[in-house]
Amino acid sequence: MADVLLKSFTKRYGSITALENFSLEIKNGEFVTLLGPSGCGKTTLLRMIAGLETIDGGELYIGGRLYNNVPSQKRKIAMVFQSYALFPHMSVRRNIMFGLKINKIPQEQINQKLEWVVNLLHLKGLEERYPREISGGQRQRVALARALVLDPDLLLLDEPLSNLDAALRETAIEELKRIHHHVGKTILYVTHNQVEAMSMSERIALMNFGHLEQYDRPKVIYDQPKTVFCGEFIGSPPMNFFTGEIHVESGVTGIMTNIGYLKLDSERANKVKDFNGRKVVAGVRPQNVYFKGHHARRRHTDSDIEISVELIENLGDRSLVIGRNKSGTLIRFLITRDDEIQIEGKMSIFADGRQIHLFDPSTRLNIFH
Amino acid sequence: MSQIDRKLPMAVGKKVIWGSGILLAVFIVLGPVYLLIKYSISDVSSINTGGEPIPLWPYHPTLSIYSYLFSDIRFYRVLMNSIIIALSSVGLSMLLGVPAAYILGTYRIPGRKTILLGIISVRLFPDIASVIPIVQLFINLGVHQTYLGVIMAHTLLALPYVIFIGIGAFESIPKDLEQQAWVMGADRFQTFVKILFPLAIPGLAAAAIYTFLLSWDEFIFAYFLSLGREDIFTLTLYLNGIKYAEPQNLLSAISVCLSLPVIIFTLMVQRYMVAGVTTGSMK
Repeated sequence: MADVLLKSFTKRYGSITALENFSLEIKNGEFVTLLGPSGCGKTTLLRMIAGLETIDGGELYIGGRLYNNVPSQKRKIAMVFQSYALFPHMSVRRNIMFGLKINKIPQEQINQKLEWVVNLLHLKGLEERYPREISGGQRQRVALARALVLDPDLLLLDEPLSNLDAALRETAIEELKRIHHHVGKTILYVTHNQVEAMSMSERIALMNFGHLEQYDRPKVIYDQPKTVFCGEFIGSPPMNFFTGEIHVESGVTGIMTNIGYLKLDSERANKVKDFNGRKVVAGVRPQNVYFKGHHARRRHTDSDIEISVELIENLGDRSLVIGRNKSGTLIRFLITRDDEIQIEGKMSIFADGRQIHLFDPSTRLNIFH
Repeated sequence: MSQIDRKLPMAVGKKVIWGSGILLAVFIVLGPVYLLIKYSISDVSSINTGGEPIPLWPYHPTLSIYSYLFSDIRFYRVLMNSIIIALSSVGLSMLLGVPAAYILGTYRIPGRKTILLGIISVRLFPDIASVIPIVQLFINLGVHQTYLGVIMAHTLLALPYVIFIGIGAFESIPKDLEQQAWVMGADRFQTFVKILFPLAIPGLAAAAIYTFLLSWDEFIFAYFLSLGREDIFTLTLYLNGIKYAEPQNLLSAISVCLSLPVIIFTLMVQRYMVAGVTTGSMK
């Protein structure tokens, strides 16, 4: 049993507050990702859990036990550093055995564990090599093996894939999911890469400026971003934001924004019908904007926006179009690659009324959730 | 990258320029060594030629001067003295310097800069200026005219360098490696013994060579501290005692004997000075 509980963590460096009143609970066996831009405090948080940084305020519980004053040597935690930190003067085998030897595990058990982890992570044949003699992907696996073999209550991973090239990263993501499924360890994973976070984690803790923006399943964060930041950070290409106000007129509800009029679906319209004139920030994902040619997508709730095409980026299967309306507001949206459009050409687009997110301009919170 | 670069073919002109440059450098370095060895195996007629130009190679090469040298019990003692004092100085300065370098190189210590300045300040004065007060101090301590006195003096001279080279060696080890060891359950001592020390060995080996050379070559402190005790004289003092002796072959033979242990010691320790031991640990 190793539920992890972070209770109002605080960390200060002089006058700079890196973390403020940060709380998080992780269930036993869960794969949780700390996601956020660089400098948001996610690595600091990880290092506090590992015992490499002091906890200035708050409490850390692992398996119900208070860990604040337990030195890192005594925490049942394993960590994979971003740099992997393999010991260069030791072979792969000795790197993996290091922690076991230090903890005085009997040699027989060490051999068993070594055998197990070498098979699990496909390191067979590499045991006698030195870190400088193996590839980046192999180093990453050795670092992971070295952590797993310690049988930790909690496994901390600090951007372990950031040094791999794109193709290798794909494989490593699959590998990590497979391993998590196989060993069932509680994993806390740090990354600034939303694709990694979305594809691997059971829950994502989205961080910004040292506080928690949203903590939920990837799908929920994507579908129901709690704040403007969440909408902005999750999803690629990034969400479009328009400022405007709620407009209720003779039973039709929409938002008058700087890009144009966005009609809401009946469910959303119902929720905001009493707020005529309220200022809002409307967020629309590029995936939910279509151009008028797509009759199949068209619904009676949608209304047209006239734009001129400024740029087209080819994404392979689709193209990203950046358009501008008469007043100069930009909008990004996706089209299929078969759609024929011209740069500087005029076109008519519409946003899916069911997929419009509304945020309060001052609190930046989603007004639906 | 660098491995690929090295394999690129070089233009012929470049090869000639580099080649002759290297030859010249080899000549400058090996010229004196050649003279030294030549004189040490020369017979008397190849040195006192009576107006004839001195030959490039002795007429009758002979090792007689070496057999003379090694039959002299005094020379043996002096050689042993030098070896004992140099190795002990290496041992003592490593024993004191490595822990100091480890602490100063890996811990955040208040007043670190002041401490470093204090350590290096020992070498701010010329040896000739500091030798008198130190000899005075050593007389009071009762280590004057002893091996220990000379060893302590040489340690004093080498220690600042050992500490500075050592700090560099420990600082160059990525912090992640140390912290990784902690997270895996190693305490500070285990981390030092199993991770930091092995990785600092190249730098520390350089410091050891430096200390050996310093002690082996040192004259002023050895002179003032062992004056009146010829039985603890080192090679440099011995050489000083016979510097006016003729012919040159005796002096040359002693010089060769002075150089050999240095070369042997350096070769022995040098294999630990492999550059780039931390390659592959990061990224």
